Amino acid sequence: MIEEVIRVIAFSLVISGIWALVSSGFTLIFGVARILNFAHGSIFMISAYFAITLLKYNINPILSFAAGIIFSGIVGVLIYKVAMSPIKEHKIMVIIVSLAVALLIEQIVLNLFGEHGISFPSLIRGYQEVFGVKITNMRILAFVLAVLTIFLLEIFINRTRIGKMINAVAQDMEAAKLIGIDVERIYTITVFISSILAGLGGLLYSQIFAITPMASLKALIYAFAIVILGGLGSVKGSILASFIIGFIIVLTITFLGARWSEFIMLLTIIAILIIKPTGLFGVEE
Amino acid sequence: MRYAIPLIAILLIALLAPFIVSEAYLYVLGMSYLFIILVVSWDLMVGYTGYVNLGHTVFIGVGAYTAALLQSSRLFVILPPYISVIVAGAFSALIGFLIGIITLRLRGYYFALVTAILPLVFMQTVFIWRDLFGGEEGFSITGIQGTVERYYISLASMLICVLIILYIARSQIGLKFKSIREDEELAEAIGINTTKYKILAFVLSSFFAGIGGALIVNYRCTVSPDLYDIPLMLLIILSAVLGGLGTIYGSIIGGFLIYLAKNWWLKPIISQIPSMIPVSDDIILYTILIVIGILMPRGIYEELRKVASAIVKKT
Repeated sequence: MIEEVIRVIAFSLVISGIWALVSSGFTLIFGVARILNFAHGSIFMISAYFAITLLKYNINPILSFAAGIIFSGIVGVLIYKVAMSPIKEHKIMVIIVSLAVALLIEQIVLNLFGEHGISFPSLIRGYQEVFGVKITNMRILAFVLAVLTIFLLEIFINRTRIGKMINAVAQDMEAAKLIGIDVERIYTITVFISSILAGLGGLLYSQIFAITPMASLKALIYAFAIVILGGLGSVKGSILASFIIGFIIVLTITFLGARWSEFIMLLTIIAILIIKPTGLFGVEE
Repeated sequence: MRYAIPLIAILLIALLAPFIVSEAYLYVLGMSYLFIILVVSWDLMVGYTGYVNLGHTVFIGVGAYTAALLQSSRLFVILPPYISVIVAGAFSALIGFLIGIITLRLRGYYFALVTAILPLVFMQTVFIWRDLFGGEEGFSITGIQGTVERYYISLASMLICVLIILYIARSQIGLKFKSIREDEELAEAIGINTTKYKILAFVLSSFFAGIGGALIVNYRCTVSPDLYDIPLMLLIILSAVLGGLGTIYGSIIGGFLIYLAKNWWLKPIISQIPSMIPVSDDIILYTILIVIGILMPRGIYEELRKVASAIVKKT
Protein backbone atom coordinates (compact mmCIF):
# COMPACT_ATOMS: atom_id res chain seq x y z
CA MET A 1 0.00 0.00 0.00
CA ILE A 2 2.66 2.48 1.10
CA GLU A 3 4.65 1.56 -2.03
CA GLU A 4 1.66 2.32 -4.25
CA VAL A 5 1.14 5.69 -2.58
CA ILE A 6 4.80 6.64 -2.95
CA ARG A 7 4.83 5.50 -6.56
CA VAL A 8 1.77 7.62 -7.37
CA ILE A 9 3.14 10.67 -5.56
CA ALA A 10 6.61 10.41 -7.10
CA PHE A 11 5.25 9.89 -10.60
CA SER A 12 2.72 12.69 -10.36
CA LEU A 13 5.29 15.13 -8.99
CA VAL A 14 7.54 14.53 -12.02
CA ILE A 15 4.68 14.80 -14.53
CA SER A 16 3.27 17.85 -12.80
CA GLY A 17 6.66 19.55 -12.82
CA ILE A 18 6.96 19.10 -16.58
CA TRP A 19 3.40 20.24 -17.28
CA ALA A 20 3.92 23.21 -14.96
CA LEU A 21 6.80 24.35 -17.20
CA VAL A 22 4.75 23.98 -20.37
CA SER A 23 1.56 25.53 -19.07
CA SER A 24 3.19 28.44 -17.25
CA GLY A 25 4.83 29.39 -20.55
CA PHE A 26 1.49 29.19 -22.33
CA THR A 27 -0.33 31.24 -19.72
CA LEU A 28 2.50 33.79 -19.47
CA ILE A 29 2.24 34.82 -23.11
CA PHE A 30 -1.53 35.03 -22.80
CA GLY A 31 -1.32 37.11 -19.64
CA VAL A 32 1.09 39.58 -21.24
CA ALA A 33 0.00 39.78 -24.87
CA ARG A 34 -3.52 38.23 -24.78
CA ILE A 35 -2.40 35.73 -27.40
CA LEU A 36 -3.45 32.09 -27.38
CA ASN A 37 -0.35 30.46 -28.82
CA PHE A 38 -1.46 27.14 -30.26
CA ALA A 39 2.07 26.53 -31.55
CA HIS A 40 3.27 26.21 -27.96
CA GLY A 41 3.06 22.40 -28.07
CA SER A 42 5.26 22.30 -31.17
CA ILE A 43 7.99 24.14 -29.32
CA PHE A 44 7.72 21.49 -26.60
CA MET A 45 8.28 18.76 -29.18
CA ILE A 46 10.79 20.43 -31.46
CA SER A 47 13.38 21.14 -28.74
CA ALA A 48 13.69 17.43 -27.99
CA TYR A 49 14.01 16.53 -31.68
CA PHE A 50 16.68 19.17 -32.19
CA ALA A 51 18.72 18.01 -29.19
CA ILE A 52 18.44 14.35 -30.20
CA THR A 53 19.61 15.23 -33.70
CA LEU A 54 22.65 17.05 -32.26
CA LEU A 55 23.47 13.97 -30.20
CA LYS A 56 23.56 11.91 -33.38
CA TYR A 57 26.40 14.14 -34.54
CA ASN A 58 28.32 13.24 -31.36
CA ILE A 59 27.82 16.51 -29.58
CA ASN A 60 28.14 16.48 -25.81
CA PRO A 61 24.76 15.63 -24.16
CA ILE A 62 24.70 18.66 -21.85
CA LEU A 63 25.61 20.94 -24.74
CA SER A 64 22.86 19.37 -26.89
CA PHE A 65 20.43 19.78 -24.04
CA ALA A 66 21.26 23.48 -23.70
CA ALA A 67 21.20 23.98 -27.47
CA GLY A 68 17.76 22.37 -27.63
CA ILE A 69 16.43 24.87 -25.10
CA ILE A 70 17.93 27.87 -26.91
CA PHE A 71 16.64 26.50 -30.22
CA SER A 72 13.10 26.32 -28.85
CA GLY A 73 13.35 29.96 -27.79
CA ILE A 74 14.50 31.01 -31.25
CA VAL A 75 11.80 29.02 -33.05
CA GLY A 76 9.19 30.45 -30.70
CA VAL A 77 10.25 34.01 -31.47
CA LEU A 78 10.40 33.26 -35.20
CA ILE A 79 6.85 31.88 -35.22
CA TYR A 80 5.69 34.89 -33.24
CA LYS A 81 7.38 37.41 -35.51
CA VAL A 82 6.31 35.82 -38.78
CA ALA A 83 2.90 34.39 -38.08
CA MET A 84 1.41 36.08 -35.05
CA SER A 85 2.72 39.59 -34.52
CA PRO A 86 1.45 40.96 -37.89
CA ILE A 87 -2.12 39.81 -37.23
CA LYS A 88 -2.31 40.39 -33.47
CA GLU A 89 -5.43 42.52 -33.91
CA HIS A 90 -7.39 39.66 -35.45
CA LYS A 91 -7.89 37.37 -32.49
CA ILE A 92 -9.65 34.63 -34.46
CA MET A 93 -6.86 34.55 -37.04
CA VAL A 94 -4.09 34.33 -34.45
CA ILE A 95 -5.69 31.18 -33.07
CA ILE A 96 -6.26 29.67 -36.50
CA VAL A 97 -2.83 30.51 -37.90
CA SER A 98 -0.94 29.32 -34.83
CA LEU A 99 -2.90 26.06 -34.89
CA ALA A 100 -1.99 25.65 -38.55
CA VAL A 101 1.67 26.31 -37.72
CA ALA A 102 1.49 23.63 -35.01
CA LEU A 103 0.08 21.07 -37.42
CA LEU A 104 2.53 22.06 -40.14
CA ILE A 105 5.49 21.52 -37.80
CA GLU A 106 4.00 18.22 -36.68
CA GLN A 107 3.68 17.05 -40.29
CA ILE A 108 7.22 18.13 -41.19
CA VAL A 109 8.73 16.36 -38.16
CA LEU A 110 6.59 13.33 -38.96
CA ASN A 111 7.97 13.24 -42.49
CA LEU A 112 11.57 13.73 -41.35
CA PHE A 113 11.71 11.44 -38.31
CA GLY A 114 8.75 9.08 -38.61
CA GLU A 115 6.03 8.46 -36.07
CA HIS A 116 8.02 6.26 -33.70
CA GLY A 117 8.87 7.65 -30.30
CA ILE A 118 12.48 8.63 -29.65
CA SER A 119 14.16 9.51 -26.38
CA PHE A 120 16.93 11.80 -25.28
CA PRO A 121 19.29 9.57 -23.24
CA SER A 122 19.11 10.36 -19.52
CA LEU A 123 21.58 12.99 -18.39
CA ILE A 124 22.27 11.04 -15.20
CA ARG A 125 21.96 7.37 -14.34
CA GLY A 126 21.15 5.37 -11.22
CA TYR A 127 18.21 5.39 -8.87
CA GLN A 128 17.23 6.04 -5.26
CA GLU A 129 15.17 3.77 -3.11
CA VAL A 130 12.39 5.32 -1.05
CA PHE A 131 10.50 2.80 1.13
CA GLY A 132 11.35 0.07 -1.36
CA VAL A 133 10.22 2.06 -4.40
CA LYS A 134 12.91 2.67 -7.00
CA ILE A 135 12.89 6.21 -8.36
CA THR A 136 15.39 6.97 -11.11
CA ASN A 137 17.74 9.88 -10.53
CA MET A 138 16.61 11.33 -13.85
CA ARG A 139 13.06 11.75 -12.56
CA ILE A 140 14.34 13.44 -9.42
CA LEU A 141 16.53 15.73 -11.53
CA ALA A 142 13.58 16.53 -13.82
CA PHE A 143 11.45 17.52 -10.85
CA VAL A 144 14.24 19.61 -9.27
CA LEU A 145 15.00 21.35 -12.58
CA ALA A 146 11.33 22.13 -13.14
CA VAL A 147 10.83 23.57 -9.67
CA LEU A 148 14.08 25.53 -9.88
CA THR A 149 13.13 27.02 -13.25
CA ILE A 150 9.70 28.06 -12.05
CA PHE A 151 11.29 29.60 -8.97
CA LEU A 152 13.75 31.53 -11.18
CA LEU A 153 10.84 32.67 -13.36
CA GLU A 154 9.07 34.07 -10.30
CA ILE A 155 12.21 35.95 -9.26
CA PHE A 156 12.78 37.20 -12.81
CA ILE A 157 9.26 38.56 -13.17
CA ASN A 158 9.01 40.13 -9.73
CA ARG A 159 12.55 41.38 -9.11
CA THR A 160 14.28 42.33 -12.36
CA ARG A 161 13.67 45.46 -14.41
CA ILE A 162 12.57 43.56 -17.51
CA GLY A 163 10.34 41.38 -15.36
CA LYS A 164 8.67 44.45 -13.95
CA MET A 165 8.19 45.81 -17.46
CA ILE A 166 6.56 42.51 -18.45
CA ASN A 167 4.29 42.87 -15.45
CA ALA A 168 3.42 46.42 -16.41
CA VAL A 169 2.49 45.44 -19.97
CA ALA A 170 0.40 42.56 -18.64
CA GLN A 171 -1.51 44.89 -16.35
CA ASP A 172 -2.17 47.69 -18.82
CA MET A 173 -0.65 47.66 -22.27
CA GLU A 174 -1.59 51.23 -23.17
CA ALA A 175 -0.40 52.72 -19.91
CA ALA A 176 2.87 50.81 -20.32
CA LYS A 177 3.23 52.33 -23.76
CA LEU A 178 2.60 55.80 -22.34
CA ILE A 179 5.45 55.54 -19.86
CA GLY A 180 7.78 54.61 -22.69
CA ILE A 181 7.95 50.82 -22.59
CA ASP A 182 8.62 49.24 -25.99
CA VAL A 183 5.66 46.87 -25.86
CA GLU A 184 6.60 44.88 -28.96
CA ARG A 185 10.05 44.20 -27.48
CA ILE A 186 8.47 43.02 -24.23
CA TYR A 187 6.20 40.69 -26.19
CA THR A 188 9.19 39.22 -27.98
CA ILE A 189 11.06 38.67 -24.71
CA THR A 190 7.97 37.07 -23.19
CA VAL A 191 7.58 34.74 -26.17
CA PHE A 192 11.25 33.79 -25.85
CA ILE A 193 10.89 32.97 -22.14
CA SER A 194 7.64 31.12 -22.70
CA SER A 195 9.19 29.04 -25.50
CA ILE A 196 12.25 28.21 -23.40
CA LEU A 197 9.96 26.91 -20.67
CA ALA A 198 8.15 24.70 -23.19
CA GLY A 199 11.47 23.55 -24.67
CA LEU A 200 12.84 22.57 -21.27
CA GLY A 201 9.58 20.75 -20.55
CA GLY A 202 9.87 18.82 -23.80
CA LEU A 203 13.50 17.88 -23.19
CA LEU A 204 12.72 16.58 -19.71
CA TYR A 205 9.69 14.74 -21.05
CA SER A 206 11.74 13.06 -23.76
CA GLN A 207 14.17 11.70 -21.18
CA ILE A 208 11.46 10.07 -19.09
CA PHE A 209 9.05 9.04 -21.83
CA ALA A 210 9.55 8.83 -25.57
CA ILE A 211 8.61 11.85 -27.67
CA THR A 212 6.65 11.59 -30.91
CA PRO A 213 5.51 14.27 -33.38
CA MET A 214 2.02 13.78 -31.99
CA ALA A 215 3.25 14.73 -28.50
CA SER A 216 2.97 18.38 -29.53
CA LEU A 217 -0.81 18.25 -29.62
CA LYS A 218 -0.91 16.23 -26.43
CA ALA A 219 1.23 18.82 -24.65
CA LEU A 220 -0.99 21.58 -26.00
CA ILE A 221 -4.18 19.87 -24.82
CA TYR A 222 -2.71 19.29 -21.36
CA ALA A 223 -1.58 22.90 -21.19
CA PHE A 224 -5.12 23.97 -22.10
CA ALA A 225 -6.64 21.85 -19.38
CA ILE A 226 -4.20 23.22 -16.84
CA VAL A 227 -4.68 26.88 -17.72
CA ILE A 228 -8.46 26.51 -17.78
CA LEU A 229 -8.26 25.08 -14.28
CA GLY A 230 -5.67 27.57 -13.05
CA GLY A 231 -7.20 30.57 -14.78
CA LEU A 232 -5.95 32.03 -18.06
CA GLY A 233 -3.04 34.39 -17.62
CA SER A 234 -2.12 33.41 -14.08
CA VAL A 235 1.29 31.75 -13.74
CA LYS A 236 0.63 30.98 -10.10
CA GLY A 237 -2.70 29.38 -10.98
CA SER A 238 -1.21 27.25 -13.72
CA ILE A 239 1.52 25.91 -11.42
CA LEU A 240 -1.02 24.93 -8.78
CA ALA A 241 -3.31 23.48 -11.46
CA SER A 242 -0.43 21.45 -12.95
CA PHE A 243 -0.04 19.60 -9.70
CA ILE A 244 -3.79 19.01 -9.39
CA ILE A 245 -4.12 17.79 -13.00
CA GLY A 246 -0.89 15.76 -12.77
CA PHE A 247 -2.13 14.03 -9.64
CA ILE A 248 -5.54 13.31 -11.18
CA ILE A 249 -3.95 11.92 -14.34
CA VAL A 250 -1.59 9.60 -12.48
CA LEU A 251 -4.41 8.37 -10.25
CA THR A 252 -6.56 7.71 -13.31
CA ILE A 253 -3.76 5.90 -15.13
CA THR A 254 -2.96 3.80 -12.06
CA PHE A 255 -6.49 2.76 -11.20
CA LEU A 256 -8.53 3.00 -14.42
CA GLY A 257 -6.02 2.79 -17.28
CA ALA A 258 -4.37 5.34 -19.58
CA ARG A 259 -7.27 5.61 -22.03
CA TRP A 260 -9.45 7.17 -19.34
CA SER A 261 -7.01 9.99 -18.51
CA GLU A 262 -8.28 12.60 -21.00
CA PHE A 263 -11.85 11.75 -20.14
CA ILE A 264 -11.41 12.28 -16.40
CA MET A 265 -9.37 15.41 -17.09
CA LEU A 266 -12.24 16.90 -19.08
CA LEU A 267 -14.76 16.04 -16.39
CA THR A 268 -12.55 17.88 -13.88
CA ILE A 269 -12.39 20.92 -16.13
CA ILE A 270 -16.14 20.95 -16.67
CA ALA A 271 -16.73 20.72 -12.95
CA ILE A 272 -14.37 23.66 -12.38
CA LEU A 273 -15.98 25.72 -15.14
CA ILE A 274 -19.43 25.19 -13.63
CA ILE A 275 -18.31 26.17 -10.14
CA LYS A 276 -15.83 28.92 -11.00
CA PRO A 277 -15.96 29.98 -14.67
CA THR A 278 -12.63 31.82 -14.71
CA GLY A 279 -10.59 29.07 -13.09
CA LEU A 280 -8.74 29.33 -9.81
CA PHE A 281 -6.87 32.59 -10.50
CA GLY A 282 -8.16 33.91 -13.83
CA VAL A 283 -7.20 37.39 -15.05
CA GLU A 284 -9.60 39.94 -16.56
CA GLU A 285 -10.11 39.31 -20.25
CA MET B 1 -31.71 38.71 -58.52
CA ARG B 2 -28.78 39.65 -60.72
CA TYR B 3 -27.09 36.36 -59.79
CA ALA B 4 -30.07 34.28 -60.98
CA ILE B 5 -28.61 33.26 -64.34
CA PRO B 6 -25.18 32.09 -63.11
CA LEU B 7 -26.82 30.29 -60.17
CA ILE B 8 -29.20 28.41 -62.46
CA ALA B 9 -26.29 27.55 -64.75
CA ILE B 10 -24.28 26.12 -61.82
CA LEU B 11 -27.29 24.14 -60.63
CA LEU B 12 -27.81 22.72 -64.14
CA ILE B 13 -24.17 21.64 -64.32
CA ALA B 14 -24.49 20.02 -60.90
CA LEU B 15 -27.64 18.18 -61.99
CA LEU B 16 -26.05 16.98 -65.23
CA ALA B 17 -22.74 15.98 -63.63
CA PRO B 18 -23.59 12.22 -63.43
CA PHE B 19 -23.77 12.17 -67.24
CA ILE B 20 -20.45 13.99 -67.67
CA VAL B 21 -18.10 12.83 -64.90
CA SER B 22 -16.85 9.28 -64.34
CA GLU B 23 -18.16 7.37 -61.34
CA ALA B 24 -15.03 7.72 -59.22
CA TYR B 25 -15.01 11.50 -59.57
CA LEU B 26 -18.76 11.66 -59.09
CA TYR B 27 -18.20 10.06 -55.70
CA VAL B 28 -15.69 12.78 -54.73
CA LEU B 29 -17.99 15.48 -56.08
CA GLY B 30 -20.90 14.19 -53.98
CA MET B 31 -18.66 14.07 -50.89
CA SER B 32 -17.63 17.67 -51.49
CA TYR B 33 -21.29 18.75 -51.19
CA LEU B 34 -21.51 17.10 -47.78
CA PHE B 35 -18.24 18.74 -46.79
CA ILE B 36 -19.80 22.10 -47.71
CA ILE B 37 -22.50 21.48 -45.07
CA LEU B 38 -19.74 21.07 -42.47
CA VAL B 39 -17.98 24.29 -43.49
CA VAL B 40 -21.14 26.38 -43.71
CA SER B 41 -22.35 25.17 -40.31
CA TRP B 42 -18.96 26.07 -38.79
CA ASP B 43 -19.11 29.50 -40.38
CA LEU B 44 -22.56 30.12 -38.88
CA MET B 45 -21.00 29.95 -35.40
CA VAL B 46 -17.47 31.26 -35.90
CA GLY B 47 -17.97 33.72 -38.73
CA TYR B 48 -21.12 35.22 -37.29
CA THR B 49 -20.58 35.32 -33.52
CA GLY B 50 -16.77 35.53 -33.59
CA TYR B 51 -16.38 32.66 -31.15
CA VAL B 52 -13.77 30.19 -32.39
CA ASN B 53 -15.11 26.67 -32.19
CA LEU B 54 -12.20 24.26 -32.61
CA GLY B 55 -14.31 21.24 -31.72
CA HIS B 56 -16.69 21.18 -34.66
CA THR B 57 -15.62 17.62 -35.43
CA VAL B 58 -17.16 16.58 -32.12
CA PHE B 59 -20.60 17.28 -33.52
CA ILE B 60 -19.78 15.75 -36.89
CA GLY B 61 -18.56 12.62 -35.12
CA VAL B 62 -21.47 12.47 -32.70
CA GLY B 63 -23.90 12.79 -35.60
CA ALA B 64 -22.03 10.19 -37.60
CA TYR B 65 -21.88 7.63 -34.79
CA THR B 66 -25.49 8.28 -33.73
CA ALA B 67 -26.77 7.67 -37.26
CA ALA B 68 -24.55 4.65 -37.75
CA LEU B 69 -25.64 3.07 -34.48
CA LEU B 70 -29.30 3.73 -35.17
CA GLN B 71 -29.03 2.11 -38.60
CA SER B 72 -27.03 -0.92 -37.53
CA SER B 73 -28.03 -3.78 -35.30
CA ARG B 74 -25.72 -2.53 -32.53
CA LEU B 75 -28.57 -0.81 -30.70
CA PHE B 76 -32.06 -2.14 -30.09
CA VAL B 77 -33.66 -0.20 -32.94
CA ILE B 78 -32.99 -0.04 -36.67
CA LEU B 79 -34.20 3.19 -38.20
CA PRO B 80 -34.43 4.16 -41.88
CA PRO B 81 -31.69 6.63 -42.96
CA TYR B 82 -33.85 9.75 -43.30
CA ILE B 83 -35.09 9.44 -39.70
CA SER B 84 -31.72 8.53 -38.23
CA VAL B 85 -30.09 11.55 -39.90
CA ILE B 86 -32.57 13.91 -38.24
CA VAL B 87 -32.18 12.16 -34.87
CA ALA B 88 -28.38 12.41 -35.25
CA GLY B 89 -28.65 16.16 -35.87
CA ALA B 90 -30.91 16.59 -32.85
CA PHE B 91 -28.54 14.62 -30.63
CA SER B 92 -25.55 16.70 -31.79
CA ALA B 93 -27.56 19.83 -31.07
CA LEU B 94 -28.26 18.55 -27.56
CA ILE B 95 -24.55 17.94 -26.93
CA GLY B 96 -23.86 21.42 -28.34
CA PHE B 97 -26.43 22.90 -25.98
CA LEU B 98 -24.88 21.22 -22.93
CA ILE B 99 -21.36 22.33 -23.86
CA GLY B 100 -22.67 25.77 -24.76
CA ILE B 101 -24.33 26.51 -21.44
CA ILE B 102 -21.10 25.67 -19.63
CA THR B 103 -18.61 27.48 -21.85
CA LEU B 104 -20.48 30.32 -23.53
CA ARG B 105 -21.10 32.31 -20.38
CA LEU B 106 -17.45 33.30 -20.77
CA ARG B 107 -15.74 35.38 -23.42
CA GLY B 108 -14.06 33.69 -26.35
CA TYR B 109 -10.71 32.46 -25.04
CA TYR B 110 -12.06 29.79 -22.72
CA PHE B 111 -14.48 28.67 -25.40
CA ALA B 112 -11.64 28.15 -27.89
CA LEU B 113 -9.59 26.17 -25.36
CA VAL B 114 -12.43 23.95 -24.16
CA THR B 115 -13.64 23.18 -27.67
CA ALA B 116 -10.06 22.37 -28.69
CA ILE B 117 -9.89 19.66 -26.02
CA LEU B 118 -13.27 18.12 -26.87
CA PRO B 119 -12.42 16.14 -30.05
CA LEU B 120 -9.67 14.30 -28.20
CA VAL B 121 -12.05 13.33 -25.44
CA PHE B 122 -14.80 12.19 -27.77
CA MET B 123 -12.28 10.19 -29.74
CA GLN B 124 -11.33 8.39 -26.54
CA THR B 125 -14.94 7.23 -26.12
CA VAL B 126 -14.56 5.25 -29.34
CA PHE B 127 -11.63 3.35 -27.84
CA ILE B 128 -13.06 3.00 -24.34
CA TRP B 129 -16.36 1.45 -25.53
CA ARG B 130 -14.73 -0.48 -28.33
CA ASP B 131 -17.50 -3.09 -28.60
CA LEU B 132 -20.13 -0.47 -29.27
CA PHE B 133 -18.19 1.98 -31.45
CA GLY B 134 -15.80 -0.42 -33.16
CA GLY B 135 -12.48 1.13 -32.07
CA GLU B 136 -10.12 2.69 -34.63
CA GLU B 137 -11.53 0.54 -37.45
CA GLY B 138 -15.08 1.78 -36.95
CA PHE B 139 -17.79 -0.32 -38.55
CA SER B 140 -19.78 -0.35 -41.73
CA ILE B 141 -23.49 0.12 -42.34
CA THR B 142 -25.72 -0.36 -45.35
CA GLY B 143 -26.16 3.35 -46.06
CA ILE B 144 -27.44 4.57 -49.41
CA GLN B 145 -26.74 2.37 -52.42
CA GLY B 146 -25.81 3.49 -55.94
CA THR B 147 -23.34 6.25 -56.80
CA VAL B 148 -25.82 8.33 -58.81
CA GLU B 149 -28.55 8.09 -56.15
CA ARG B 150 -26.05 9.09 -53.49
CA TYR B 151 -24.89 12.00 -55.59
CA TYR B 152 -28.37 13.44 -55.99
CA ILE B 153 -29.22 12.89 -52.34
CA SER B 154 -26.09 14.70 -51.22
CA LEU B 155 -26.74 17.55 -53.66
CA ALA B 156 -30.30 17.93 -52.41
CA SER B 157 -29.26 17.72 -48.73
CA MET B 158 -26.59 20.34 -49.26
CA LEU B 159 -29.02 22.71 -50.97
CA ILE B 160 -31.61 22.31 -48.19
CA CYS B 161 -29.06 22.81 -45.37
CA VAL B 162 -27.39 25.77 -47.05
CA LEU B 163 -30.71 27.48 -47.81
CA ILE B 164 -31.86 27.10 -44.21
CA ILE B 165 -28.54 28.40 -42.88
CA LEU B 166 -28.62 31.31 -45.34
CA TYR B 167 -32.15 32.12 -44.22
CA ILE B 168 -31.07 32.13 -40.56
CA ALA B 169 -27.96 34.17 -41.30
CA ARG B 170 -29.95 36.85 -43.11
CA SER B 171 -32.75 37.02 -40.55
CA GLN B 172 -32.94 39.12 -37.38
CA ILE B 173 -31.23 36.25 -35.58
CA GLY B 174 -28.23 36.39 -37.90
CA LEU B 175 -28.01 40.13 -37.30
CA LYS B 176 -27.90 39.53 -33.55
CA PHE B 177 -25.14 36.95 -33.99
CA LYS B 178 -23.17 39.56 -35.92
CA SER B 179 -23.70 42.18 -33.23
CA ILE B 180 -22.00 39.81 -30.76
CA ARG B 181 -19.04 39.53 -33.09
CA GLU B 182 -18.73 43.27 -33.61
CA ASP B 183 -19.04 44.37 -29.99
CA GLU B 184 -20.42 42.06 -27.37
CA GLU B 185 -20.67 44.67 -24.64
CA LEU B 186 -22.52 47.07 -26.90
CA ALA B 187 -24.88 44.28 -27.99
CA GLU B 188 -25.59 43.57 -24.35
CA ALA B 189 -26.12 47.24 -23.67
CA ILE B 190 -28.86 47.55 -26.30
CA GLY B 191 -30.70 44.66 -24.71
CA ILE B 192 -29.59 41.59 -26.64
CA ASN B 193 -29.27 38.53 -24.42
CA THR B 194 -25.87 37.63 -25.81
CA THR B 195 -25.48 34.36 -23.93
CA LYS B 196 -28.81 33.14 -25.29
CA TYR B 197 -27.87 33.99 -28.87
CA LYS B 198 -24.38 32.54 -28.57
CA ILE B 199 -25.87 29.27 -27.36
CA LEU B 200 -28.49 29.41 -30.13
CA ALA B 201 -25.77 29.87 -32.77
CA PHE B 202 -23.78 27.01 -31.29
CA VAL B 203 -26.80 24.68 -31.14
CA LEU B 204 -27.76 25.45 -34.76
CA SER B 205 -24.18 24.98 -35.86
CA SER B 206 -23.90 21.63 -34.09
CA PHE B 207 -27.27 20.52 -35.45
CA PHE B 208 -26.13 20.94 -39.04
CA ALA B 209 -22.72 19.45 -38.26
CA GLY B 210 -24.52 16.39 -36.88
CA ILE B 211 -26.67 16.18 -40.01
CA GLY B 212 -23.52 16.49 -42.13
CA GLY B 213 -21.76 13.74 -40.20
CA ALA B 214 -24.77 11.44 -40.46
CA LEU B 215 -25.04 12.04 -44.20
CA ILE B 216 -21.33 11.32 -44.69
CA VAL B 217 -21.74 8.01 -42.90
CA ASN B 218 -24.66 7.11 -45.14
CA TYR B 219 -22.70 8.22 -48.17
CA ARG B 220 -19.52 6.26 -47.60
CA CYS B 221 -21.21 3.45 -45.63
CA THR B 222 -18.58 3.34 -42.88
CA VAL B 223 -18.05 5.24 -39.65
CA SER B 224 -14.63 5.67 -38.08
CA PRO B 225 -12.85 8.00 -35.62
CA ASP B 226 -11.32 10.10 -38.45
CA LEU B 227 -14.61 12.04 -38.38
CA TYR B 228 -13.60 13.31 -34.93
CA ASP B 229 -10.03 14.07 -35.89
CA ILE B 230 -8.10 17.33 -36.09
CA PRO B 231 -7.09 17.14 -39.79
CA LEU B 232 -10.79 17.31 -40.72
CA MET B 233 -11.17 20.30 -38.40
CA LEU B 234 -8.27 22.08 -40.08
CA LEU B 235 -9.70 21.33 -43.53
CA ILE B 236 -12.99 22.96 -42.47
CA ILE B 237 -11.18 25.98 -41.02
CA LEU B 238 -9.05 26.33 -44.14
CA SER B 239 -12.13 26.28 -46.38
CA ALA B 240 -13.98 28.86 -44.33
CA VAL B 241 -10.95 31.13 -44.04
CA LEU B 242 -10.25 30.86 -47.75
CA GLY B 243 -13.81 31.88 -48.52
CA GLY B 244 -13.93 34.54 -45.82
CA LEU B 245 -15.45 34.14 -42.37
CA GLY B 246 -19.05 35.14 -41.89
CA THR B 247 -20.06 35.14 -45.54
CA ILE B 248 -21.72 31.68 -46.06
CA TYR B 249 -21.22 32.06 -49.84
CA GLY B 250 -17.47 32.12 -49.27
CA SER B 251 -17.71 28.95 -47.20
CA ILE B 252 -19.58 27.19 -49.99
CA ILE B 253 -16.94 28.07 -52.57
CA GLY B 254 -14.05 27.46 -50.15
CA GLY B 255 -15.43 24.10 -49.04
CA PHE B 256 -15.96 22.97 -52.62
CA LEU B 257 -12.51 24.02 -53.83
CA ILE B 258 -10.56 22.74 -50.81
CA TYR B 259 -12.27 19.37 -50.75
CA LEU B 260 -11.66 18.78 -54.44
CA ALA B 261 -8.10 20.08 -54.14
CA LYS B 262 -7.32 17.68 -51.32
CA ASN B 263 -9.02 14.61 -52.77
CA TRP B 264 -8.66 15.14 -56.49
CA TRP B 265 -6.24 17.80 -57.75
CA LEU B 266 -3.38 17.69 -55.26
CA LYS B 267 -2.64 13.97 -55.49
CA PRO B 268 -1.19 13.98 -59.05
CA ILE B 269 0.84 17.09 -58.19
CA ILE B 270 2.32 15.50 -55.05
CA SER B 271 3.28 12.35 -56.95
CA GLN B 272 5.33 14.54 -59.30
CA ILE B 273 7.45 15.90 -56.45
CA PRO B 274 10.53 13.73 -55.77
CA SER B 275 10.22 11.82 -52.51
CA MET B 276 13.42 13.52 -51.28
CA ILE B 277 11.42 16.60 -50.35
CA PRO B 278 9.16 15.90 -47.39
CA VAL B 279 5.93 17.27 -48.81
CA SER B 280 2.46 15.88 -48.31
CA ASP B 281 -0.93 17.28 -49.24
CA ASP B 282 -1.43 18.27 -45.61
CA ILE B 283 1.77 20.31 -45.59
CA ILE B 284 0.67 22.20 -48.71
CA LEU B 285 -2.81 22.89 -47.29
CA TYR B 286 -1.48 24.06 -43.91
CA THR B 287 1.00 26.34 -45.66
CA ILE B 288 -1.79 27.85 -47.75
CA LEU B 289 -3.81 28.45 -44.59
CA ILE B 290 -0.89 30.16 -42.83
CA VAL B 291 -0.10 32.36 -45.83
CA ILE B 292 -3.73 33.42 -46.30
CA GLY B 293 -4.06 34.04 -42.57
CA ILE B 294 -1.01 36.30 -42.46
CA LEU B 295 -1.54 38.18 -45.71
CA MET B 296 -5.32 38.46 -45.59
CA PRO B 297 -6.50 38.17 -41.99
CA ARG B 298 -9.96 39.35 -43.05
CA GLY B 299 -10.28 36.55 -45.60
CA ILE B 300 -9.93 36.51 -49.36
CA TYR B 301 -13.57 37.55 -49.83
CA GLU B 302 -13.10 40.87 -47.99
CA GLU B 303 -9.77 41.59 -49.66
CA LEU B 304 -11.18 40.92 -53.11
CA ARG B 305 -14.15 43.15 -52.37
CA LYS B 306 -11.77 45.91 -51.29
CA VAL B 307 -9.74 45.52 -54.47
CA ALA B 308 -12.89 45.40 -56.58
CA SER B 309 -14.33 48.55 -55.04
CA ALA B 310 -11.00 50.33 -55.50
CA ILE B 311 -11.04 49.43 -59.19
CA VAL B 312 -14.64 50.58 -59.53
CA LYS B 313 -13.76 53.92 -57.92
CA LYS B 314 -10.86 54.51 -60.32
CA THR B 315 -12.85 53.84 -63.50
